[in-house]
Amino acid sequence: MKAQRRGWIFVPLAILLLVAVFPFFWMAISSFKPLGQLYSIPPQWLPNPPTMRNFEEVMFRSNIPRYFINSTIISLGSTLLALVFAIFAAYGFARFNFRGKSAALAFVLIGQLLPTATVIVPLYLVLSYFNLINTYLGLILVYLILTLPLSVWMLTGYFRSIPSELEEAAIIDGASRLGVLFRISLPLILPGIVAVMLYSFVATWNEFVFALSFATDRTMKTLPIGLAEFSTEFDIDWGAVMAASLLMTLPIAIIFLVLQKLFVGGLMSGATKG
Amino acid sequence: MTLRKISPGVWFILPTMLLLVGLIVYPMISTVELSVTDPAGTFVGLRNFNVVISAPSTKLILFNTLFYVVGSVIFQLILGILAGILLNQTFFGRALFRSLMLIPWVIPGIVAAMTWAWMFHTDYGVINFLLMQLGIISGPVGWLTNPNTVMPALVAVNAWKMFPFVAVMVLAGLQSVPEELYEAARVDGAEFRHEIWHVMLPQLRPVLFSVTLLLVIWALDGITIIYSMTGGGPANRSMIFPIQIYVQAFEYFEFNRAAALSVLYFVIISAVIAAYMRVFSLDRRD
Repeated sequence: MKAQRRGWIFVPLAILLLVAVFPFFWMAISSFKPLGQLYSIPPQWLPNPPTMRNFEEVMFRSNIPRYFINSTIISLGSTLLALVFAIFAAYGFARFNFRGKSAALAFVLIGQLLPTATVIVPLYLVLSYFNLINTYLGLILVYLILTLPLSVWMLTGYFRSIPSELEEAAIIDGASRLGVLFRISLPLILPGIVAVMLYSFVATWNEFVFALSFATDRTMKTLPIGLAEFSTEFDIDWGAVMAASLLMTLPIAIIFLVLQKLFVGGLMSGATKG
Repeated sequence: MTLRKISPGVWFILPTMLLLVGLIVYPMISTVELSVTDPAGTFVGLRNFNVVISAPSTKLILFNTLFYVVGSVIFQLILGILAGILLNQTFFGRALFRSLMLIPWVIPGIVAAMTWAWMFHTDYGVINFLLMQLGIISGPVGWLTNPNTVMPALVAVNAWKMFPFVAVMVLAGLQSVPEELYEAARVDGAEFRHEIWHVMLPQLRPVLFSVTLLLVIWALDGITIIYSMTGGGPANRSMIFPIQIYVQAFEYFEFNRAAALSVLYFVIISAVIAAYMRVFSLDRRD
């Protein structure tokens, strides 16, 4: 019944869809255009013939590959570190009652909402005190601000969704708390773990301000900074910028397209059950 | 109190809490301390605050920040609610539509910024070309270099970037609207637009409350798009508070003034959030 009376919704849907995807397609198309076709009036819609020049520029004549590696190391490092801490914390929040629990949970949530710009100055001073400016470890630690609170929040929701009877049965059989956590609960929330890792990876992969402030050395910069820098050079090579943009988007796009259902599900359960 | 009496839950959360205190609480206290001292560490009272508040650009920066936040959030909500409601209908290819609609939200902020900067290009940008073809503008507009268009252009980018998030949340919220409400409305002869207004939107209120709060907070923290597209220019016309903090600290190396700005910004944000919560809870009582 719905379907027959609502054929018209394809019109607003098509418009919205066009708005949503056009910039992405324009970026992809531009990255395959030779220079002459990038800077032509009127613009040429499709590259003819498509060229790999822009990608060669990015891969072999820029620092982007190095930034790509830096970003990967830092994102993976911070994601895994946050996961280890968050598994314990979330389990504690989900399974035990103690004084100050709701205050602690509220603090975690507020930590997630903290505007990053307001803490860059003291963090810079702390990092330089420990000689962690321009190091992988420095950014990995700082990125815990982004990854840890949400990981705790989401995982708490997942742990709560497992009936505690399962664990109680195991404890009666003589299992320890940690044994229960790792042998019974953790395998059950595996989808949640994946969702949390994806979220953390994406959040750190895209992070801009901390990277801009704490990784200033050419060998330590991350992809977002490299990209911004690419475009502020006096003579902007827009074809190369678009090619680098496409390369930076690919890992994220693949993660999301393959695991989209899981990701959205994870975000929801964290938000509603937490 | 002996260790035995402490709940095991405390031991589970302790490492995380210590880390977060070190990464969040300590820097915040340290910011306050920096804001009332000079580079040598001597207490100077509110001098740093005086300097940053009386700076001639401060009013403009406050206005820009407000413009950016309010403008972004309004368009994110309108587009997002619209998209969420549409995507909740039954139609052919719905799953594909839902996935594609997520693209702006999924792609990295810096990539969105670069792509839009290229599309906004004065001479070779596709936006100027399309608008000229349609006869909306007569000559190329320097979207990011003209003081009058730079903020609206940046708001457009941010609205585009985040509206899918609203759509996802609206979609999730609509799943929990009981079918009986629609049926009751239809018995009363409701059209689709009535259903939106009298069934969906009221049911979405709790969702939209938290979504709006998140959007405001994210817009207040919105450095990536503006910094990489305009750097705050031309002549501070797109400078917003968080970028100003970065500039003071890492371009002028005025750490204490940057700290004063941070404290000020934090107070403003807290006031905005407190006011928002208060208005909403008053609203809910009646």
